[in-house]
Amino acid sequence: MANSVRFGEFSREVSVQQNRISYSLLMPKIEKGPDGRAVPYKPPRLKVTPKETLKILKPYVSPRFMEQIRAVVPLGLYLMLFQLFILRQAVADSATITGGLLAVIVGLMLYMEGLKLGIMPFGETIGNTLPTKSPMPVVLLIAFTLGVGVTFAEPAIGALQYAGKIIKAENAPVLYSLLNDRSLTTRIFVGIGVGVAAMLGTMRFIYGWSLKPLIYISLLPTAIITIAFHFIPGLRTIIGLAWDCGGVTTGPVTVPLVLSLGIGVAAAVGKADSNLSGFGIVTLASLLPCTAVLLLGLYVYMTVPREAIMAAAAAAQAASSAAATPAWYEVTPVAEIIASLQAIVPLISFLFFVLIIVLREKIRNGGILTYGIFLAIVGMILFNIGLTYGLASLGNQSGSIVPAAFMKLDQVKDSPLYFYAGGILVALIFSWALGFGATLAEPALNALGLTVENLTNGAFKKSVLLYAVSVGVACGIAIGVLKIIYDLPLTWMLLVSYIPTVFMTYLSSEEYVNVAWDSAGVTTGPVTVPLVLAMGLGFGNAKGVLEGFGILSMASVCPIAAVLAVGLYVQWKDKRQKAALGARMEAAGGATA
Amino acid sequence: MSKRELTVLTDVTLITCIVQRGIADTIVKSATEAGAQGATVFFARGSGIRERLGMLGVAVEVEKEIVNIVVSTDHADRIFEAMYLAGKLDTPGMGFMYMTPLEKAATYIPKAVLDKLAAGRK
Repeated sequence: MANSVRFGEFSREVSVQQNRISYSLLMPKIEKGPDGRAVPYKPPRLKVTPKETLKILKPYVSPRFMEQIRAVVPLGLYLMLFQLFILRQAVADSATITGGLLAVIVGLMLYMEGLKLGIMPFGETIGNTLPTKSPMPVVLLIAFTLGVGVTFAEPAIGALQYAGKIIKAENAPVLYSLLNDRSLTTRIFVGIGVGVAAMLGTMRFIYGWSLKPLIYISLLPTAIITIAFHFIPGLRTIIGLAWDCGGVTTGPVTVPLVLSLGIGVAAAVGKADSNLSGFGIVTLASLLPCTAVLLLGLYVYMTVPREAIMAAAAAAQAASSAAATPAWYEVTPVAEIIASLQAIVPLISFLFFVLIIVLREKIRNGGILTYGIFLAIVGMILFNIGLTYGLASLGNQSGSIVPAAFMKLDQVKDSPLYFYAGGILVALIFSWALGFGATLAEPALNALGLTVENLTNGAFKKSVLLYAVSVGVACGIAIGVLKIIYDLPLTWMLLVSYIPTVFMTYLSSEEYVNVAWDSAGVTTGPVTVPLVLAMGLGFGNAKGVLEGFGILSMASVCPIAAVLAVGLYVQWKDKRQKAALGARMEAAGGATA
Repeated sequence: MSKRELTVLTDVTLITCIVQRGIADTIVKSATEAGAQGATVFFARGSGIRERLGMLGVAVEVEKEIVNIVVSTDHADRIFEAMYLAGKLDTPGMGFMYMTPLEKAATYIPKAVLDKLAAGRK
C-alpha cells in the first residue's frame, strides 16, 4: 500500500467538483413476462419543464434565425443608410418596412426549415426509388410536373405579382396583361420552362450529354425570338420580363428538389460517374422559362387585341377604386394566405401522389413531415407579407429616389442633388455595391464555391469564384441600371453580352462551362430578386420609361462571362505552368543524357 | 524485430463527446484552450432523447459529430469539464460524453522534448 498520492491526482480532486451517481440507478428495470422472457422496454415520453423547453429550442432557433438576419439586415441597412446619407431622404414608412423585413427574416427561417423537414424528404425518396420502379417516360413526366410545381413554390416568384402592380396598362399592354390578369398563365409558362429543363437535365444525367450543345440549342431560338420581338413595338416591352424570369425561377426550392431527382436517376442508371452531374439543370431552368414567356407574350399579342387589355385594366382599376374596401380575399393576411397555399399545396399533393400511388411507398415520420409542411406554409405566408411590405416596398422606394441624384424629381426637394455626371456615378456606384454585397452574402454561392474548389482540385479557389460571381452580378446590375437611365434597348445589350459569353463557352472546358452557367442561377436568391426587381421598376417609373425589367437578366449573364473569363485564365495559367515544367524536365533530362 | 526504440506515452485518457452536427468545433476550441493538444471529429447518427421528446424532438439533430480527444490523465477532468460546459451538455438532447482510460499511446514527439525529459530524469 502506498500512502503517497500523486500530485496530479490531488490537484484533480480539488479543482473539479463532481457528484458521482451510479448509472445502474438510472437504467430502467427490464420486466419479465409470464413466459419468463424479458418484455421489450419502451422508453416513456420525457416530461420537459418550460425552462428546459426554452433551453432546447434556443440552440435550434438561433443559428437559423441568424442565417436569415445575415442575408437580409445588411442589405436593408445599406438601402436605408444610402437613402439617408447620400440622397438625404427620410425612409418613408420606415416602421412598416422594418416590420416587413422582420416578417421576411422569420418567414424565410420557417420556410427553409419546413422545406428541409417536410418537402426535401419526399424529393429524396422519390429520387432514390422512382427510377428503379418506373419506366423512363414516367420518370420524365414526373420530372416535368415537378418542375412546374416547384416554380410555384419558389418564394421569389411572388415578386412578379408585385411587379405587375407598378406597370401601367397604356404603356405596355402585353406586359401588363402578362403580369396582372394573366399572371397565373405566366407562372404556368415559367413553370413549363422549368419543367422542360428538369426533363432535359434528367436526360442529361442519364446519357451524360455535354452541356455546351444544350446551351446553344436553347439560346439560339430565344435569341431569334428576342430579336424579332425587338422590331414589334407591342412586344418589345416583354423582353425584359422574359429574360428576368430565368433569374426568378432558380431559387432555394427548385434547385435542390430537381437535383435530388436527377441525381437519383443518375445513380439508378449507373452513369453517375462525373462529379459534375449536379450541374446544368440550373442553367437550363434559367434559359427555358425565358423562351416560354416570350412565346406566351406572342400568343397574347396575336390573340388578344390591345383594346381588350386596356378595357380590362380600366375595369380593374375602376373596380378597385369603386370598391373602397377591397373584397375580403384581397385584404392583406387573407390574400397572402391564399397565395401561399396556392404555391405549396399543389406541390405537396403532387409529391404525395407520386409517393403513394405511383411508388406505393409508406410515409415514414409522419409527425415530422406534417410539422415541416406546416412550417413551410406559415413561413411562405410570412415571407409573402414581408415581400410586399418590406423588400419590395423598400426596393421600390430606393429605386424611385435614386434617380434624384442626377435628375429633377417632384417628390425630392432640391433635386438634382448632384451635378449630372456625378449623380449618375452615385446611382451606378449604389447599384454596383448593392449587387456586390447581396451576392457575396448569398449562402448558396458559398456552397457552390466549395464544390468548385473540390472539382478543380484547388485550381479554381473558392474566393476567386465568390469574387468573380459577385463582381459579375454587380456589373450586371449597374449595366441594368444604365439601361433604365438611358432607356437603352435590352435586346442589343443582351446580344452584346451573350455573344462573347457563348464564344468563351466554346473555348472553355466542360467543367468550367457547367460551373459558370450555373453560377448565374445560384446567385439570385429570395432576398435579392424581389429587392432588385422592385428597385428596377421604381427606377423605371421615376425615370418615366416603359418598364424597369432587365436588371436581373443583365445580372445573370455578367457573372457567367466573369466566371468563364476567370476559368479561361486559370486554364491558360495551368497550361503554361505545365508547359514550363515540361520544358524544364526536358532540359534536365537532356543534361543528364 | 526492429531495433528502433519506441517512445510510448502512459497516463493517457480518451475523452469522447457526442454532440449534434455543427457543435464539435466549439467543443474542440474549448478543449484546446483547456490544454488539449489535438482532436479528431467524425460524423455519426444517433438516437435517444430525440425520440422521447415528442414534438420538441425536431429541435434535436439526428446527425451527430463525435469528438475524440486524448489528454493526460492529470488534466482529463479539467478538460472534460471545459468541454461539458462549452457544449452545454446540461441541456436535454445536447449530447453525451465519457472518459476512457487508455493503456498507452504513441505519436511523434520532438527530439528536443525527449532530450529535455531525459536530462530532467538524470
